Amino acid sequence: MVNKLIKEDTKMFLTGNEVLAYAANAAEAEFMYGYPITPQNEIMHTWCKLLPKTEAGFLQTEDEISAGFSTLGGILAGKRAFTATAGPGNVIMQDAQSMAEMMRIPFVCAVMQRGGPSTATVIYAQQETRLTCFGGNGEGFRIVYSTAGHQDLYDYMIKAFNTAWKYRFPTYVLADGYQGKMREPVMLYDPASRGISMVPTEKALLGPGQIGIDRKSVHMRNTYNMEEELMEVLEGYQKDYDKMAEEVAEYEEYKAEDAEILIIAHGIVARSARTAIDELRAKGIKAGLFRPITIRPLAVKPLRAAVSRAKQILFTESANGQLAQMVLEKLYGLNTPYSTLYKMGVGVTGDDLVSKVESMIKEPAMI
Amino acid sequence: MSRTKIVLAGEGGQGVQSIAKILVEAGYEAGKQVLYIPNFGVEQRGGVSIAFCQIADETIGEPRFSKGDIIIMLSDRAISRCETYVNENSTIVYDTSVCTIKPTVKCKQVIGIDANKIANEDPSLGARVFNIIILGVLLEATHVLELSDIKNAMEKALGKKFDAKPELRTKNYNALDMGIKLLKEQQALV
Repeated sequence: MVNKLIKEDTKMFLTGNEVLAYAANAAEAEFMYGYPITPQNEIMHTWCKLLPKTEAGFLQTEDEISAGFSTLGGILAGKRAFTATAGPGNVIMQDAQSMAEMMRIPFVCAVMQRGGPSTATVIYAQQETRLTCFGGNGEGFRIVYSTAGHQDLYDYMIKAFNTAWKYRFPTYVLADGYQGKMREPVMLYDPASRGISMVPTEKALLGPGQIGIDRKSVHMRNTYNMEEELMEVLEGYQKDYDKMAEEVAEYEEYKAEDAEILIIAHGIVARSARTAIDELRAKGIKAGLFRPITIRPLAVKPLRAAVSRAKQILFTESANGQLAQMVLEKLYGLNTPYSTLYKMGVGVTGDDLVSKVESMIKEPAMI
Repeated sequence: MSRTKIVLAGEGGQGVQSIAKILVEAGYEAGKQVLYIPNFGVEQRGGVSIAFCQIADETIGEPRFSKGDIIIMLSDRAISRCETYVNENSTIVYDTSVCTIKPTVKCKQVIGIDANKIANEDPSLGARVFNIIILGVLLEATHVLELSDIKNAMEKALGKKFDAKPELRTKNYNALDMGIKLLKEQQALV
């Protein structure tokens, strides 16, 4: 067990990366593996700075391939381990992430998106949305929480550990360089004070007693001989995933009930949408927001209901429609027209959205 | 509902991020809503360094904004990079002793100050407190916080250094006062 630092409600003024390190500690994480990449470095720095007090562990590996697999190794050895990465690091960690899907390992990873493709910028983007949901050579058996600020980072990092350990699918906190680097006030708390009990850390391997006498042998497979054998396993996973999806899918609506123009945005862009919606409402324009919090799996029923109510949809992202692609698939059969405001690797501001929505009033989107 | 949007821009190493941190820390301690995003490239030194700061009475939505209320430009490159954050309601402050060009974008007001020159020439100041002069200018230009808020935040950030070298405290506080004075003089001319 590690020492938990936050015992009572503590308001702090932190960067998002610092918040994540505190949240992992609050979630009783015991070990972090990682490799430096901007803009997630300060998660590692903060985690390490707190080590004398937390008595947790840290290992800097030689790259993200190793960081990913070391995290899996730590978890298999019975530790509540996690990692964090960004950009090209997220790309090369996909191998380990796929293994977590295949072997149902409760892998937790914070992704602080930066500009892409490749090295691009160290600043900000939403261009790892598709990668984080569907990277690797699999089916995307993953849960991805997209956060919109520091309170979210704290709340959902804690939740990510519980989701991962309960359902045994890799779970992500998907944020970005803005959230990692920016400073804003946040309330840190002990999860127990909010009625949150942490799912216990169980040893997958190396359980107590002797195999065959005290316990069954554990066989975690990553390799299959027969095509059908694989499919049978994956169909089971899919069934588990679908059942879990209804329990974990989360979303947030803001003035969406009577919205004629519904903005669909995730993460920090959804916050800009709120600013825009307040301005538009003040001008008498009925705009609203649908923000998927889990961008995988999506909360499909409420999403379809909100879209059905609206006259027009606006997709906006700091990417070229990565979320929109995932959402549109779930809107099959609906015919609400949509428009887009995509800024690849660049922040979307409230002003951007106000002028876009105003242009949609003048010239409505077509089906 | 009031929200002040501030852009601080200069060359890496001019201390832009340091004063942004003091500013937002002061805002936080004064009970305001604050949000600060540092923005820089991959360089360790050099390159344009920008700080986007917001200080508000109510919860802040957008982390990045399109147009600032006050834009501080401390180098030629900062001028060319940051004119995009200016509109007719923005006030620009730039350093005439560093910049060789003038901001030409349409705005509410352009204020030129020679903070860098004064910092270097005034024995009660010094080159290293140039950024604190700018902080004084910013405080006077926005009035979003009290001088005491800024001083408290400076004590929190630099108090140990100040205690070890009391003349540093004097120089920093002199620089704050100088910044306030410079802006008052410029505004009197308008």
